[in-house]
Amino acid sequence: MSVLTPELRRESEEIAARYPTRRSALMPLLYLVQSAEGWVSREGLQEVADVLGITTAEVEAVATFYTMFRLEPAGRYVVSICTNLSCALRGGKALYERAHELMGPGAEQVTEDGMLTLHEEECLGACDAAPLVQVNFANYDRVTEEGLAELIEALRRGDPPPPSRGEHPGDLKATSRLLAGLGPEGASE
Amino acid sequence: MSARPPEIITLAIDGKEVAVPKGTLIIRAAEQLGIEIPRFCDHPLLDPVGACRQCYVEVEGQRKLMTSCTTPVAPGMVVRTQNTSEQAREAQEAVLEFLLLNHPLDCPICDRGGECPLQDQALAFGPGESRYVEPKRTFEKPIALSPLVALDRERCVLCARCTRFCDQISGDRFIELFDRGAAEQVSIAPGEDFRSPFSGNTIQICPVGALTAVPYRFVARPFDLKTADTVCPHCASGCNLRVDLRRGEVVRHLARDSYEVNDAWLCDKGRFAFRFADAPTRLTHPLLRDPGLEPASFGEVFARVGTWLEDGPGRVAFLTGGRLMDEDYYALSKLARTVFRTNDLDHRRYRSGDVPEAVERAAAASVTITYRDVERAGAILVVGLDAEQELPILHLRIRKAARRGAAVFVLNARRTRLHDVAEHVLCPPGAEAGFLERIAGARGEGDAFGRARAALEAAGEGAVVLAGPRLAEAAGGVGRAASLAAGVGGRFAFLARRANDRGALRAGVHPGLLPGGRRVADAGERAEVERAWGLPEGSLPDGPGRDGAAILEAAARREIDVLFLVGVDPLRDFPDAALARRALENVPHKVVQDISSDAMAIYADALLPAAAYLEKDGHYSDWEGRGQRLRPVRAAPGIARPDWEIFAGLARALGGELGFDSLDSLHEEMGELLGPREVDWRPSGRSSAGPALGETGEDLVLFTYPLLVDEGRLSWGAAELKEALEEPVTLEVHPEDAERLGLEDGGRARVASLAGEATLPVRITSTVARGSAFVPFNNPGLAANTLLSGRFHVPVSVAPAGGEGEAEARGVEEVAS
Repeated sequence: MSVLTPELRRESEEIAARYPTRRSALMPLLYLVQSAEGWVSREGLQEVADVLGITTAEVEAVATFYTMFRLEPAGRYVVSICTNLSCALRGGKALYERAHELMGPGAEQVTEDGMLTLHEEECLGACDAAPLVQVNFANYDRVTEEGLAELIEALRRGDPPPPSRGEHPGDLKATSRLLAGLGPEGASE
Repeated sequence: MSARPPEIITLAIDGKEVAVPKGTLIIRAAEQLGIEIPRFCDHPLLDPVGACRQCYVEVEGQRKLMTSCTTPVAPGMVVRTQNTSEQAREAQEAVLEFLLLNHPLDCPICDRGGECPLQDQALAFGPGESRYVEPKRTFEKPIALSPLVALDRERCVLCARCTRFCDQISGDRFIELFDRGAAEQVSIAPGEDFRSPFSGNTIQICPVGALTAVPYRFVARPFDLKTADTVCPHCASGCNLRVDLRRGEVVRHLARDSYEVNDAWLCDKGRFAFRFADAPTRLTHPLLRDPGLEPASFGEVFARVGTWLEDGPGRVAFLTGGRLMDEDYYALSKLARTVFRTNDLDHRRYRSGDVPEAVERAAAASVTITYRDVERAGAILVVGLDAEQELPILHLRIRKAARRGAAVFVLNARRTRLHDVAEHVLCPPGAEAGFLERIAGARGEGDAFGRARAALEAAGEGAVVLAGPRLAEAAGGVGRAASLAAGVGGRFAFLARRANDRGALRAGVHPGLLPGGRRVADAGERAEVERAWGLPEGSLPDGPGRDGAAILEAAARREIDVLFLVGVDPLRDFPDAALARRALENVPHKVVQDISSDAMAIYADALLPAAAYLEKDGHYSDWEGRGQRLRPVRAAPGIARPDWEIFAGLARALGGELGFDSLDSLHEEMGELLGPREVDWRPSGRSSAGPALGETGEDLVLFTYPLLVDEGRLSWGAAELKEALEEPVTLEVHPEDAERLGLEDGGRARVASLAGEATLPVRITSTVARGSAFVPFNNPGLAANTLLSGRFHVPVSVAPAGGEGEAEARGVEEVAS
């Protein structure tokens, strides 16, 4: 079973063709794999290498560096909480520990209902909005413990509230497809 | 291309003025003043990265300390290193303390201990003590990146030299920095091998003990070793290397820096195939057949050769390989012509006439092209060469040229590892001349031919055409390649493959050429040699000699009485195994002179023990023609001697005299005949392209060449190397041909030529030219020369065969019986 179906292979080629050198399509293609699998498996890494004609090591080096790529199965919503300095000073660490309690067993992998994955994040570049919580790359500014509980409840229902800026976060697959540069149409689920 | 002289910039480092070209890094400028700034990630052949932060210096006017390995000089810059800046000294100490936080300090059990930049620099520039008391980060260790390279992540300082080498130099990006922050580590993708023939370089440039060589792990300490400088005995790249011996046995080859030749690199064969001189089959004493092989003295063997000559018509011929030294070849050339009065001597695998005489003469007479020319080329055309497998260091130079902006084109029957930097045109074996014509006649840049033509023309004298050994087999191929180079005013090389093929040519181990490329057929040039040898005019044999194949054919017809086989195994080397065997069976007297006996012992009537590369004083000439001196590192075993001494002894025993009894007198004489001479390599007139193979009536044209790591004798004992890099034998077939012939990927095919047949596993790949099929020349399971009839390509019929498993091969004679 390959991760990239013939349709996704075709889309990979379309993405690769956007760049002067194919290798530049590496991150979009990792998002494409994530949009198909809901995470990036080892087979996914190998197939990206295959499409781009580079080594799996080169793909894996990039995939392990960036935290946007989930290299283990993840829930539909990845909740990233920054615990770096600015956020920590404003209660980020406490928020992260509270999220752990709220999500229960498997919080760092996948919650029992398959909806959520908790991730302790390095700086997200929004120190003015500390403490910051990100859900599938959408920012929620100055989150309180009460606000966090409501957010997690809403996410469990599959109904994320509007973020502080920008659009409602879709689920991880749909968001990844968007980040692969393919737009929302035809997004799975 | 004559580059304009670079702008010169003057700056002061530690109060001393230095003038360097614009763009020079501070750390390099400091080196010119003899000021040592500590460093780990910096390497002169890799792009600056500033990863380790060890080389901090103070630059006046800058708020912060600067990494001297990434900062270019500027006019009037004032730099203070650790020698004059307290701030720089403190920063360097702090960085070293940081680098050692997680380092295990296991120097007493580390291979690198005693020759470790981290150890040395910690001592010279470090704080002496660490304030770190917390537990250190630990990893599973060592992990095998390949059968050759082991990784100990605890020792790593994340300088990224190894990963940058794989990215920038070899292009084999199998190791990378994975993860980030405190978890960052060098790693390999699970399921992907570090399958690069240059992997060993990462070990040598590792500034700590993180990467170690599996064949050297726990073998020796630096103070155990006797070390000497020499030159690699494998291919014609001419790599400068250092041999390390422990108790007289070779335990390691390391690259020496030599920016004119191998930069700082070696291929893995050069690095890891070093045990052959210590093989148990090593010859230590002469042996005579009586009827078994009995020990004898040199004198007894020489006397016996004398009786063989007296008993018959005394027809003698010499076959040799490409791995003796210049001195040996010179002595052989003189021995054959003055004592035996024959021109029947050869070292080549191609036929006389395959390569235009002008090209061979020029190669024998002077150096016409160098590594530098390749490195600085504007356009390079590589024809009939798989550079990574056949001349690996030239391959790296071509890659370097490509990185500097050269347009690279490859015309070959099989895709090569230059595929990421070069445009390839796959061309059926034997049809190269026609394809070269198409390049020469191309107009516009619509196709690869046109683009190659345009790039070569634009490069002008910066155009380089490199013709591989197989081009000799394409009728008119070498001539066409040379004409193409000449036509654009560029440079040309017909490449030698073995360590000293070029030296053999220079010395005149050739049926038509005397030393220095002088023609046998030219009375004037013959007379020059006669004068140098103190012979009366007209005394050298003037008839054209037999080439290698003709010698074997004559031997098979019983027209040779005594055949000298010097450093050669025709059964394995010659592209017609059946002819080689018939020749050996039909020559009454065979004298085998070699470092070890191997298969030839069955046929030999006399065996003479020769000294190996590390036991001789002499020269190799690399593919450029650059002569490089080797010094003896150890004594030869038993009474083995350098080949030239054996030839001189044989001459005296037969009542002749070569005229030299010491290396000095030999060199004096060689200098007279082998000094550089002007010979024009450009073929006169238009050499016509021979007919393309095209319709042969057979299914496919099978072609073969030796891969870097194979069953060759010089890879004896290199088990880890073979495990890491030796390919299993497969028949590589183009998808279209596979469909036509009903072959399946992973299935088996029966391949039959006029010479023999074999059943081989099939690999379907579009990396071979349509209409052709490739097998490696000498990998386990198939000696491909059992399928050949004198050329390295042959028409074959191919049909699907049942079953599975490994390659099987039979020669026709076995098929018939």
